[in-house]
Amino acid sequence: MKQMKNLLKISLWALLLGGTVACSSDEEPIPSPYATPNHALFVVNGGNFQSGNASLTLYDPAAKTSINEIFRKANGYALGDVAQSMTIHGNTGWIVVNNSGVIYAVDLATMLVKGRIEGLTSPRYICFVSNEKAYVSHMYSNQITIINPRTYAVTGSITCSNMEASTGSTEQMVIDGNYLYVSCWSYQKDILKIDTTTDKVVATLEVGIQPASLHIDRNHKLWTLCDGGWDGNPLGYEAPKLCRINPTTMTIEQEFTFTKGDYFAKVVMNEAKDTLYWIKGGIYALPVQSETLPTSPLITNPEAAFYTMTIDPHTKEIYAADAMDWTQQGIVYRYTPSGVLLDWFYVGVCPENFCWNY
Amino acid sequence: MKKSRLFVWVLQLLLGVSTAYAAEPRLEADSLVDIREVEILGQRPMKEIGVQKTAFDSVILNEHIALSIADVLNFNSSIFVKHYGRATLSTASFRGTSPAHTQVLWNGMKINSPMLGMTDFSMIPACFIDEASLLHGASSVGTTGGGLGGAVLLATRPRTEEGLTLNYVQGVGSFETYDEYLRIGYGNHRWQLSTRVAYASSPNDYKYRNRDKMEYVYDDQMNIIGQYHPTERNRNGAYKDFHLLQEASVRLNNDDRLGLNLWYVGSNRELPLNTTSYADASRIENRQREHTLRSLLSWERMRRNHRLTAKGGYIFSELKYDHRVRMSDDADAVVSTMERSRNYTHTLFAQLQGEWSLGEKWLLTTDLNAYHHRITAKGKEVIGEQGPETLGYRGHRTEWSASATLRWRASRWFGVGLTLREEGYDEEFSPLIPALVADGDLLRNGTLRWRASLTRNYRYPTLNDLYFQPGGNPDLRPEEGWSYDLGIEFQTNKQRHIVAKGSLSWFDSHIDDWILWHPTAMGYYTPENVKKVHSYGLESALQLTARLGRAWQASLDASYAWTPSLNEGEPFSSADQSVGKQLPYQPKHTASAALRIGYRRWALHYKWSYYSKRYTLSSNGSMISGSLDAYSTSDLTLEKRLSLRWCGLSLKGTLHNLFDAEYTTVLSRPMPGLHGQLFLGITPKWGCKRKQ
Repeated sequence: MKQMKNLLKISLWALLLGGTVACSSDEEPIPSPYATPNHALFVVNGGNFQSGNASLTLYDPAAKTSINEIFRKANGYALGDVAQSMTIHGNTGWIVVNNSGVIYAVDLATMLVKGRIEGLTSPRYICFVSNEKAYVSHMYSNQITIINPRTYAVTGSITCSNMEASTGSTEQMVIDGNYLYVSCWSYQKDILKIDTTTDKVVATLEVGIQPASLHIDRNHKLWTLCDGGWDGNPLGYEAPKLCRINPTTMTIEQEFTFTKGDYFAKVVMNEAKDTLYWIKGGIYALPVQSETLPTSPLITNPEAAFYTMTIDPHTKEIYAADAMDWTQQGIVYRYTPSGVLLDWFYVGVCPENFCWNY
Repeated sequence: MKKSRLFVWVLQLLLGVSTAYAAEPRLEADSLVDIREVEILGQRPMKEIGVQKTAFDSVILNEHIALSIADVLNFNSSIFVKHYGRATLSTASFRGTSPAHTQVLWNGMKINSPMLGMTDFSMIPACFIDEASLLHGASSVGTTGGGLGGAVLLATRPRTEEGLTLNYVQGVGSFETYDEYLRIGYGNHRWQLSTRVAYASSPNDYKYRNRDKMEYVYDDQMNIIGQYHPTERNRNGAYKDFHLLQEASVRLNNDDRLGLNLWYVGSNRELPLNTTSYADASRIENRQREHTLRSLLSWERMRRNHRLTAKGGYIFSELKYDHRVRMSDDADAVVSTMERSRNYTHTLFAQLQGEWSLGEKWLLTTDLNAYHHRITAKGKEVIGEQGPETLGYRGHRTEWSASATLRWRASRWFGVGLTLREEGYDEEFSPLIPALVADGDLLRNGTLRWRASLTRNYRYPTLNDLYFQPGGNPDLRPEEGWSYDLGIEFQTNKQRHIVAKGSLSWFDSHIDDWILWHPTAMGYYTPENVKKVHSYGLESALQLTARLGRAWQASLDASYAWTPSLNEGEPFSSADQSVGKQLPYQPKHTASAALRIGYRRWALHYKWSYYSKRYTLSSNGSMISGSLDAYSTSDLTLEKRLSLRWCGLSLKGTLHNLFDAEYTTVLSRPMPGLHGQLFLGITPKWGCKRKQ
C-alpha cells in the first residue's frame, strides 16, 4: 500500500509538471510604431504556402539598416499567408496577402494597420486610380475587384470574359491615362485594356503563353514577358518572349524571342522608365529603344539564384534577392548601377517583391 | 517431455511471442481491469536479435475508441507526430527524418501512399489495430526497406474467444463529436470471423485564441481606439470518417492457417482554414474525400522448424480534393475551382516469406515481395489549345525487394544477425543494402543486455516526386543513408510486485540526397536532391509495472529522446545559414509518459507528451515565426466497468488537453484546448468462452 501511495505521489507530480509548459499569456499586445524613412525599401516576403509566415522587411538605404518582420513588430500579429505585393499610395502602404485573402493598409508614419479589405478570393496586386478607387487582380478568378481605399470596401468587380473563373488569372496592372492595362498570367495569353471610367474591358490582345509582367516605358509603350509555359502545359509550351505593345492600337510592335526552356524569375522597369531589367540566371538590362537583346548579363553571381529584383529610384542601385532553400531567411544583394556588388542584408522567407517609399 | 519443451521453445523462437503477444484484448467488460501482462523474462526471440523495438500493448490501443494511431504514437513514444489540427493530417517521423522516411506496414503490407510517400496516422483508428510496434532506424531493415527513420508495424490478429461476441461502444464529446464502434466476432477452434465498424463525425469547430489576427475597435471617425486578438472557431474542420474491417481466419490443420483482411475507409473531411485566413468560410469548400480498400489474403504454415508465409494484397484508393470559392454571397454566383484533384491508386502486392530454424542457434529468414502501383492523378481542367484538358499524370511502377537474414545466437552473451537486402523499381536497382545487428547479455541473470546495429538504407523518390505535373523531377536520385545504433536494455526479475524494464540507445545516421520541394517563379513547386542530413542522439524508455495485491495495479511507460538532426549539406552560397542547423519541424527533445492505475473495476489513464521548440526555418533564424514554442499536453481517462447478469458495461470519460494548453504543432494550425468525451460500452454475455 505504501508503494501505491508513492506511485500516486509520483503521478500527482507528473500532472503538475505537465501543466506547467505551454501556458500562454492573455495580455493584449501593445502596438509599437515604427516610422518609415523618407527613402526606404520594403521587401515583401511571401513566406511558405499555407504556413502563414509571410513578412515585411524595411530597409533604410541611407543608414544601411534593415528591420525584419516590421509588420508583426509594429502591430503584434502575423502578416499572413503568402504576401504577394505592396503598393504605396499617398502615405499608406497597401500589402496584398494572397492566400489570406486580405489587403492591409498601413500608415507609413507608424507602420500600424489603418484598415483592411478582407474576403478577397486570391489577390495578387493592387493598382490605384484615385483615393476612392483601386483595382485588385486575382489568381483563380476571372474578376478584377474594385475597391474604395477610403472605406476599405469592395465596391464592384469587372468580369473578364476571355477566361473562366477556375483557371482565370489577372496579374500585374498599369494605368496610363484613362486606361488600365492588365497582364493575364496563369493559363492565359492576353493583355486587357480596361476603361477606368466605365470599368469595361475595351480591348484584348493575345500576346503569347502566360504573360506575367507588365510595365509601361517613358514612350507609353507596354512591355510584357510571356514565360512560355512548361512542358505538359495544356495551354502549350513555347519559347518565352518579350513583347513591346502599342497600348493605343493594342498591337505588338516588337517581339524578342528567347530559347525554349529559358527560365525568367522577374522583369522590372527602372524609375526613368527607359530600361527593362530581368533575371534569367543573371541580371540583364535592355534599354527600351534597343533593337537587340543583350548578349551578356549585367550581373552574375555564381553563388546566388536570383528570384526577384528592383532598382533604387534615386541611386539606380540594383537590389536582387535570393530565396536560397526557401525555408530560411532570404538575402538581398545590393549592386551599383554598373553591377558591382556593394553589400547584402537578410530579409524574410521567400522574398517575392519590392516596394519603394521615396 | 523434453521433446515437447523443445517444441514450445522453437514455437516461441519463431513467433517472437514475448512482447507483442503479451496482452489480451480488453474491450470485454466483465473482467478485472487489465493494466499490463507482466512479461516473463527469458531468452530474447531470435527474430529480435539486436532489434530496437517499441511495442504498444492492447491496453494502449484500446484505451478508447476515438483514439487514432497518431494519438498512440504521440503519447506513447518519443517519435514526433506533426498534427495539422484535430482530425487532420498527422504524420510521424523518427529521429529527425521526414514523414516519408517512416515506412508503415499493415499486416506486413506497406500502406505508405505511393504518390506522397507518407502515411496519415489520423486516418487509422487505434481500435482497428491489435498489435503496433516501432522499429527504430537500422532495426527496420530486417523487415522493410526505405525506412530511413524507421518503421511502424500495425497488425490485426485473429480473436482468441470461441462463440459469438459483440462489443458496442458509443462516444459523445465536445464540438458535437460522435463516435461509434461495433465489433462482432464469431469463432470456434477452426474458424474465426471478426467484423469491426467505426464511425466518427464532428463539425470540429473548436474555439481558440487567434494570436495571428487582431480585431480593432474604431471610434466614429474610424480611428482605432482599441484592439484585441479574437477568439475564433476552427473553420472548415468538419469530418465524417467511416471504417469497416472484415477479417476471417481458418485453421486448415495443425500447421496451416488462411487469413483474409478487408479494410475499407470512407472519409469526408474538410481541411481547416489556417489562422491567417480572412476568407469567408461560408463561401469556401475545402474538402478531401477518400475511399480506400485494403485487402490481404494470407497463408501461413508453421512447422516445427520452419514457417512459411505467402501473402497477396490489393489496395485501391480514391482521393478527391476540392478547393472551391463562391465569388460572391449570391447563391447563383460563379464558383471558382482553385484546386481540384482526383487521384486513383491501384496497388497489387505479393510476398513470400520463410523462416527456418537451423538447430537451436541459427535462424534463416527470407523475404521476397513486390508492389505494382498504377496511378492516375488528375488535376483541374484547363482550357488548352485542343479544348478542355486535365492536368495530371498517369504512372505505374513495380517495386520489389528481396532480403535474407541469417541470425546466430552463439551464446547468451552474443547473438548476431546479417541482413542482405536488394531493392528496385522498374529498371532501377539499389546497391546491396546490408544490415548487421547484434546483442547479448551483460549479466548472467539476463537482467542487462547490450545491442548494436549498423545499416545502409535507401529510399526511392515517390511517384509525385518524379512525375507530378507540373513540377515533377524525373532526374531525382534516391535518398541514401547510413546509420548505426548502440544500446543497453535492462529488465528486473524475480521481484514479486514491481517489474522495471528500460532501454537506452545511441544512434547516429547520415542521409544524403534528401529530397525537398521548393517553389519556382513559374508558380509551381518542384523537388530536388538538396540536403545532406546528420542525425544522432539518445532514445530512452522506461516501463514500470506493479501488481499490488488483487485490487491494485499500476504501470508507467515513459520515453525520452534527444535528437539533433542537422543539415550538413553543401551551402547554397556563403550566405546560406542553414548548414549545421537543426532541421525544421524536428524537436530536439521529445518525451512522453503514460500512467495507468487500476483498482478493482476502476481504471485511470494519464498520458503526457512533450515536444521542445521546433524551428520553422532551416537557418534556425530568430524571426518571430521562425520557431514554435515547446508544449506539453495531457489526457486523462477514467473508466468504470460493471458486470451485470446479461452484459458487461464500460463507462469512460476522457479529458483531452487537460491543462488547456494553447499550442500549435505546425505554424498557423491551432489545436483545441480542454475538451472531453464520454464513452459507453456494452458487451452482451452470450456464454462465449475464452480459448485456453
